[in-house]
Amino acid sequence: MDCEKFDRIVLDLMYGELDELTEAAAKRHIEHCSRCKGVSSGLRATREVGALTLVDPPPGLELGILEAERRLNAKLPLKKKLGRGVSILAVYAMRPQLAMAALLLLMIGSSLFFLRGRSGARDSVLITEHGVPETEAEHVAIRPAPARAVEAAPLASAMPKLASAKSEAPAARERDGDKPSEPVAELDATKESDLKGAANEAEALPGTEPAADSMDAASAAFQGGRYVEAQRRFEEIAARGGSEAPAAALQAVEALRRQRGCPAAAPRYEEVHSRYRDTPSGNEAAWQAGDCYRALGELSHARQSLEALLEVAEYRSRAEAALQELTAREAQVASARKAKAAAPAGATPVPASPPAAAAPAKPRVDVSQ
Amino acid sequence: MVRYQRGDREAFALLVKRYNKQVYNFVLRQLRTPALCEDVTQEVFMRLVQNAAEFKHEARFSTWLYAIARNLCIDQLRRLQHRRHPSLDQPLGGDDGRTLGDSIATQHPSASAERAAVSSEVQVSILKAVDALPDDQREVFLLREIADLPFRDIAEITGVPENTVKSRMRYALDRLKQALCEFEEYARALR
Repeated sequence: MDCEKFDRIVLDLMYGELDELTEAAAKRHIEHCSRCKGVSSGLRATREVGALTLVDPPPGLELGILEAERRLNAKLPLKKKLGRGVSILAVYAMRPQLAMAALLLLMIGSSLFFLRGRSGARDSVLITEHGVPETEAEHVAIRPAPARAVEAAPLASAMPKLASAKSEAPAARERDGDKPSEPVAELDATKESDLKGAANEAEALPGTEPAADSMDAASAAFQGGRYVEAQRRFEEIAARGGSEAPAAALQAVEALRRQRGCPAAAPRYEEVHSRYRDTPSGNEAAWQAGDCYRALGELSHARQSLEALLEVAEYRSRAEAALQELTAREAQVASARKAKAAAPAGATPVPASPPAAAAPAKPRVDVSQ
Repeated sequence: MVRYQRGDREAFALLVKRYNKQVYNFVLRQLRTPALCEDVTQEVFMRLVQNAAEFKHEARFSTWLYAIARNLCIDQLRRLQHRRHPSLDQPLGGDDGRTLGDSIATQHPSASAERAAVSSEVQVSILKAVDALPDDQREVFLLREIADLPFRDIAEITGVPENTVKSRMRYALDRLKQALCEFEEYARALR
């Protein structure tokens, strides 16, 4: 330590405000420096000589202050007193313990807020089928038996009606003397009205809203023109199996047909027919497959589908009529081919099939031919 | 002070008992008008009562209290600026012809036996020397010697850098040294 630095800290040294190391260094410096020793001793002597003696305050001062304080508190308006009370509470509130407790409560509260609510009645259990990718739509709700019975009633009344309507339609037509090979649109209109009726019947029951995975919901989507959604819902119902599966599979293909036409729907109809062969929906699928193939000009596939219906009483007459028509068209096509072979130049080919109203896409390539 | 903020009235009595003498002396040396000292000291504690809720314990209580006292003294000095205040040499008006300085010098009850033996002339000289200090130096000197505040807190109260406070204190001591040089031999003898 040098004298310049000592001059800066001499007051701190005198009043004991130096840390131990600096104080020791200053004292060592004083021992070797007569100038700084003189400065230090001079200031100490001045301080000691000039030390102020404290005068006792007047005897009544303390009591006067306390009395004034009492009067001041007594005169405080209510607003000020409340403010003081709030301030006292704030002093408590600002304590670290309370702050930590408040923080803890806040954390617990926010955690409860973000917790997912649990179903209190435990009336449904989510089951995920093993081996199937988990999606929200594939959750199966298992409900108590009575509730299930109540909810299944409108569905059960709707679905047989839907299936029976399709099977009864040819018979009714037959009874009325209609031609069995009416355009597809007529049949679709019948089915749509049946679906609507089934949906209305389901809605008629008070307190029963269609579940997201029910036939009603799928039918409603179909009726609303949401064919993609309808197809997905019907396929989900079909995948679950059960009594609704054949009708749902058929309706799924119907929805597909509305989206992409007969080229995509025809092979799916065949699948439904082969899977649910002895059911009304399977038979209807065979009829619709034949109809699609006829529209696409794939006469051999159409024949196969229609021939499968010859053994079904409800479809037999319609199938026979359709097969006769197919035979006539095949003969017409054969003659056209012959004429084309005889006069390849300038001859106008006979169209193989009438314009397919329900086939917006390009004709399907028949690999079997 | 924490107890008083929580509503403990007895804590205020303790605060008054602990600080009223020092505050009174600080005010007395600052104002140099004994007639005002009692009122100003009382006002200091009333300000404490009124602003107790605003004290956040970020500084020492004594620092806050002397800041109040200093501000009140400055206000009073401004009011007294054009008034004539009693001098230490001014007679008190009694029959014995004692002056204010004599009165202050003999009021010190806790002086040591050696100090008690020192004549009142010494005490008057000390008070005169302190009284003669410039305001800024006297303020620092009183806060250091009476209030026993560290230089850092004095800097906070006066609003000047700590080094400035130390410089003022050094100048004040140098002035006192010059004024009290005749008693330096006595001081050396005390050691």
